[in-house]
Amino acid sequence: MTAEPSSFFTRRIIVVTGKGGTGKTTVSATLGLAAAHHGLSTLLVEVGAFEQLPRLITGRAEEPVGYRGRLLQPGIQAIRIEPFAALAEYLGLQIGSRRLVAQALRNRSLRQLLRGAPGWRELITLGKIWQLEQMEGPNGNPLYDLIIVDAPATGHGLTFLDIPHVARSAVQSGPLARNARRVEELIRDPKRTQILPVSLAEELPAQETGELVQRLRHDLGLVPDQVIVNAVAPPLPCPDPAELEQSLRRLPGDLPLTQLPQPESLADAVAHTSARHRLNQAYLIEIAERTGLPLVVLPLLDHGVNGPVELEALRPALIESGQGPGIVPPREPAS
Amino acid sequence: MKTIQSLDEILERRIVVCVGTGGVGKTTLAAALSVEAARRGRRALVVTIDPAKRLAGALGLNALEAEPQALPDSTLIDLGIETKQRLFAMMLDTQATFDGLVRKLAPAPEAQKRIFENPIYRHVSRNLAGSGEYAAMEKVFELLESTEFDLIVLDTPPAQNAVDFLDAPIRLLEFIESRLVRGLVQPALAAGRKGFRWFEGPTRRMLDLLERLIGVGFLRDLSDFLLAFESLSEGFADRAKQVRETLLGPDSAFLLVTGASRQTVQNAESFLDHLESQALPLAGLLINRMRLWPAGIAADSFKPGGDATDTPDLLTLRQAFERSHPEPQAAALAESARAVANQYNGWVNQDQENIEPLRKRAQDRGLFVRCLAERAGDVHDALGLRALSEELFDASAQDCHQ
Repeated sequence: MTAEPSSFFTRRIIVVTGKGGTGKTTVSATLGLAAAHHGLSTLLVEVGAFEQLPRLITGRAEEPVGYRGRLLQPGIQAIRIEPFAALAEYLGLQIGSRRLVAQALRNRSLRQLLRGAPGWRELITLGKIWQLEQMEGPNGNPLYDLIIVDAPATGHGLTFLDIPHVARSAVQSGPLARNARRVEELIRDPKRTQILPVSLAEELPAQETGELVQRLRHDLGLVPDQVIVNAVAPPLPCPDPAELEQSLRRLPGDLPLTQLPQPESLADAVAHTSARHRLNQAYLIEIAERTGLPLVVLPLLDHGVNGPVELEALRPALIESGQGPGIVPPREPAS
Repeated sequence: MKTIQSLDEILERRIVVCVGTGGVGKTTLAAALSVEAARRGRRALVVTIDPAKRLAGALGLNALEAEPQALPDSTLIDLGIETKQRLFAMMLDTQATFDGLVRKLAPAPEAQKRIFENPIYRHVSRNLAGSGEYAAMEKVFELLESTEFDLIVLDTPPAQNAVDFLDAPIRLLEFIESRLVRGLVQPALAAGRKGFRWFEGPTRRMLDLLERLIGVGFLRDLSDFLLAFESLSEGFADRAKQVRETLLGPDSAFLLVTGASRQTVQNAESFLDHLESQALPLAGLLINRMRLWPAGIAADSFKPGGDATDTPDLLTLRQAFERSHPEPQAAALAESARAVANQYNGWVNQDQENIEPLRKRAQDRGLFVRCLAERAGDVHDALGLRALSEELFDASAQDCHQ
């Protein structure tokens, strides 16, 4: 399987997941920009307590988009699925009386129960995503061509994806079972949904990404098209780092330098940068071996990812990776 | 309560809780703290979340288990700890903790069996988001109860905010004590005498609603589950309260761990907001994976923006290289050295800029701040862990000013 550049845009839903701190939000935002650029009506979905996507997309402080959502720029809508709001909407549709639901959700007992009860937040969030996928525009076409979900970190992320199944095995019949089944079918349908793991080329993320892909395969029967490996250190801006380091270490330590550090420190910087690069390269291979999937490599940007300028810089690496040098071909999974 | 001025004082507490978002090196730093504590003669236990195989290896263990294991003497020696001292490590295992709790509190085998076989128990204890945090609280209680350890260093589950872990006991209490849960349990206790009609008014209407929405089967399982847990719930609530009191009390210290990238720093600021709103005893801030120049070199001696296009320096370097290299090669080496220095300096400046608001805020609040340099690789053996631990407690180390 090759990751064609368009493979991101052939499904309705991309669930971006991975270990915490790997850059899921950056990848979600970059994909959102790319999809809009591609002419797709795109919805970005956040599920955490803090909104990060709007600020990344526009590059300035943004009022929360909240559960109602807001158009950030042409082609890019953003929403944060707040579980209580989603529950109120869902119950309103089920019961047919928003007044009764509003009254019920003000009930202190029920709120206490819901605050403590596990699982329902994930289920209602996925239910809302299902509903968004079903929504139609005025011409009868889907309202959103592509829905990008910035999912919770891996541990919780897999729970997130598996929750409809859990709910369905706990509840055999009735409206909840019916709705959970619909959501489960959507999540497990490779024609409609793609799970996109994001990793770093470091030890723990590599290990966790390997486990995530295995569990997706075995527990959910899902095979991602590719793995995004984020923030990979670039090669050093010099032809032979080892030689440079050695040559620097042979220089006297008291050169009359005005701004640059002394050779010893320069040698340390070369050694460190070079070691980071080598480490990243080694873990790229490890991720490829552990997952057996093609990798899409995003470069470490000098000044971090702060807004649309950096997202634009990442976009080609992400989208045109199908033919570019950024991709590592698939390997046989390690036994 | 006495304010903690340095990392050293943190080791005097009974429990140190490392909080922060995922991917900032919390687990390894927690281990490094426990190593130093053991070196100072305290019986320390590190409780980790990540099943990092290399960390287990660095601690001389094949794998971290759900109960404390003592590190072998050979590893203690590598870590610079006298072998008469003891250091323990374990990993939180949600399922094992839940099962252990059931065994402890429901001694009758039939009762245990009933709980273990309940489908809701199986899902709650294994799969559901939040169960890890509940289990962590349970384990912490058990460990605090034992007098085996002078210091417990606790790594916390990765979360987008501190809320999940710290609010777990409150949520649990509310859940157990909620009228609806009582409503589900009591009728079953009353063995079909009155059923849900036992409750009147809003609670009763709520139960009807739940039944209509979810279906009767689920409610029966839930009721069974809660009934089975009834015997546990009294103790559950007490323990959750005690853990919270301990965590809020003078015996504990919270350490906020962050990286230096803009997003992790922003997340750390959100953590700080939450910790402050909860009046938790936050002691200090560890900023990990900073790109730093060695001590004594100021990044801002480079031109702003990190572009050291200083021609005299380039000339000096070239002349120095020319003593051992032919002229064109010396020029190329000097150019390369400058290019690498510029790139690295750009990162150093960027990290400084990223952490500045957080650092200032922490210092204004009297928290100690400690920066750690990014390492070339992960800690993968005892010597690496020892080096990290020594760096962490190096009294002569610079603070975060460059």
